Amino acid sequence: MAKWKHNLKSWLTRRLELPADAVMDLPRITMVGQLHIYIENHQGVLKFSNEEVRLLLKNGQLVIKGEDFMLKTILPEEILLEGKIEHVSYLDKPQN
Amino acid sequence: MKEYIKELFSGYVRIKVIGSYTELFINRCIEYNIPIWDISRVDNETILLSLYTTDIKRIRPHLKRTRCKIRINERKGFPFIFKKIVYSRGFLSGVISCILLILILSNMVWSITVNGATPEVEHKLKQVAEELGVKKGAFIFQLPSNQELQQEMTESLKEITWVGVKRSGSTYHFEVVQKQLPEKQPALNARHIVADKKAIITKIYVEEGQVQVKENDYVKPGQLLISGFIGKEEKSELVPARGEVYGKTWYITNVSIPLKSTFETNTGERETKYAVGFFGFHLPIWGFSKPEFPRYETIISETNLRFLKWEIPLSFQTKALLETKEVTREYTEKEALQAASQVSREDIISKTSEKAEIKEEKILHHEVENGKVNVKIHYEIIEEIGKDIPIIQGD
Repeated sequence: MAKWKHNLKSWLTRRLELPADAVMDLPRITMVGQLHIYIENHQGVLKFSNEEVRLLLKNGQLVIKGEDFMLKTILPEEILLEGKIEHVSYLDKPQN
Repeated sequence: MKEYIKELFSGYVRIKVIGSYTELFINRCIEYNIPIWDISRVDNETILLSLYTTDIKRIRPHLKRTRCKIRINERKGFPFIFKKIVYSRGFLSGVISCILLILILSNMVWSITVNGATPEVEHKLKQVAEELGVKKGAFIFQLPSNQELQQEMTESLKEITWVGVKRSGSTYHFEVVQKQLPEKQPALNARHIVADKKAIITKIYVEEGQVQVKENDYVKPGQLLISGFIGKEEKSELVPARGEVYGKTWYITNVSIPLKSTFETNTGERETKYAVGFFGFHLPIWGFSKPEFPRYETIISETNLRFLKWEIPLSFQTKALLETKEVTREYTEKEALQAASQVSREDIISKTSEKAEIKEEKILHHEVENGKVNVKIHYEIIEEIGKDIPIIQGD
């Protein structure tokens, strides 16, 4: 069922040219060099330290690595992180 | 980026959150819409974050849930700055002394302006004003009222017909109407000098005109003394007659003097009390005791205090208690006669001109009646008897 719904959504996105982040609850990430990273559509903070930030996403996690992190702004669905960003990577939700 | 204006105005705190589940705490804050920002990690168990002062109470339950503790690190924003300023003694005393200073300065005379006077008169006026206390730096509530000033100044300066005193704020305006001293102008119109009252001529002094009487002549009112016609009959000429004619005149005065009279006089003893009035209620600040003298009259003068240009319901009241004494005066008959003579002399002088001279005084008769002495006095006086009348040429 869930898979069928997902397929429908991605088909709609492709067909109707709707923004993928809005339809499929994907994170939208904006970066300004290495200074800022702005993430929309997150689901909460899992880990926050000076070198690593883990954010919960709809399916999986977002791992940001770097130095001197500071959460400038944090809102229900948005985060503005400042520091020196070196690494952004996705971790898939383990399938079960 | 965040706008920091709002944060600064509402005031915020930097707090340390200590616990193993600090991320959980962050998530719960977001969930319950408690705005937090500028989060940074200090060590494994501690994060530093900013929070509105008003939200400190709201995070309590979340702290309990996530087993975190807080320490307030810094207080920021204007409310804290303001509190700090206001509660510091120096600032407060500064504000109070500033208000006091303005209050004091608002009640001082700062300038004196004089309008409508020549420099000479202006200088004299300023001197008189200074004698009365109106000078730079004097307290307004210690000065006499405007009416009093006006009266005093008008009286003490001969060159002035009238002076208007107006006070606006801390400035005194003096509006001066100067006397126009009349220049001696020759009499332009032809005139005669005639007798004003019946008299015996004692002295004649003619500047212009033709004398019609001699010394020791008896004249009746209206009789021609110095004629305006000069020259022979054919070549007579009209001039304004000028001259002085002195004559002996008689007056009879009736005076009655009570032998015994009582009246109140001031003894010169006085006590001054000061009070501060507030909305019509007066609080004495000096002179609480009852006056030592039993009989007195009270003179109250009150001045409202001002703050800048406004009058405030505070006033300064000066109460002068002047001791009075009831005096009973008793004359013997002889003394009464003397007093009567004095009174009637004053009366005569006020009736005649200044140049008049009392030649002879005779008490015609006196009687004591109902505690009074009635005296009739006869006076012989030498005074000027001339009066100008214009010559109206009939044809």
